[in-house]
Amino acid sequence: MIDSKQASEALTDIEDTVRRVRQSQIYEVSSLVLLMWGVLAFVGNISGWFWPRYGLYFWFAVYAISAVGLIIISAYHRSKNRIRVFDDRYFLTFALIAAFGIFCCYFGHFTPRQQTAFWPIYIMLFYMMAGVWFGTAFLVIGATIVALTLIGYFYVPGLSLLLWMAVVNGGGLTLGGLWMRRS
Amino acid sequence: MAELDDIIHQPLRLKIMAALNALPVEVGLEFARLKKLTGATDGNLGAHIETLAKAGYVSVEKAFVGKKPQTTVTATAAGRVAFARHVATLQEIIAGKQL
Repeated sequence: MIDSKQASEALTDIEDTVRRVRQSQIYEVSSLVLLMWGVLAFVGNISGWFWPRYGLYFWFAVYAISAVGLIIISAYHRSKNRIRVFDDRYFLTFALIAAFGIFCCYFGHFTPRQQTAFWPIYIMLFYMMAGVWFGTAFLVIGATIVALTLIGYFYVPGLSLLLWMAVVNGGGLTLGGLWMRRS
Repeated sequence: MAELDDIIHQPLRLKIMAALNALPVEVGLEFARLKKLTGATDGNLGAHIETLAKAGYVSVEKAFVGKKPQTTVTATAAGRVAFARHVATLQEIIAGKQL
């Protein structure tokens, strides 16, 4: 028979393993979302650079495609792991985050350039908050993209900021997704 | 008085069972992922999975995904019961109900 110290160590081992499994599941589904968003952010910024007049419409399309993508990823994950990832509460949360972002842009009278920097920084804020709870990968990805976005905002002139953001935001999310997949 | 399960109590087997029990019923883990989660080597993990399988605590399914062989390990109903009992015994020991 073992003593209470050894029993306590065994329970700690169990808790640690369970925490790793949960984190691995979160990373698995998040990596797919990040890869999808990486491609969409790249396409959205590049399209805006080619056709600046229609930038807003491209971003509406990006958000619509991402909503469909989330439903597909959720269904795929559910069929594989029997865990429901995104339900109505998640979509309502995303809608509230987007609504508050629009609210800020409208009442803050943000210029297109400011909006180009605002949205990634705003979204990455939630990634960093997720990092506090679910794993440092979110924190690192969020902080890196925020830092690079600010560098672009202050030092990359004119429309070139969209190219910078295509690489930084699109590329950053894609690399982050691949990194999470391997973690 | 409940007894500790000697098969589950071994440290690596305890981690394997903990990982598999964290999943919904009938959902398994691929060998490669289990290896990463437990930090075990291929040979060591394989040997301990075999011990658990012989006890009827896990089932092992081998399949091909494309051209790659893939081994999936799943906790059986008996394995889940044994693991729950083992955890309860550990908690009893900590609470001082057993020596």
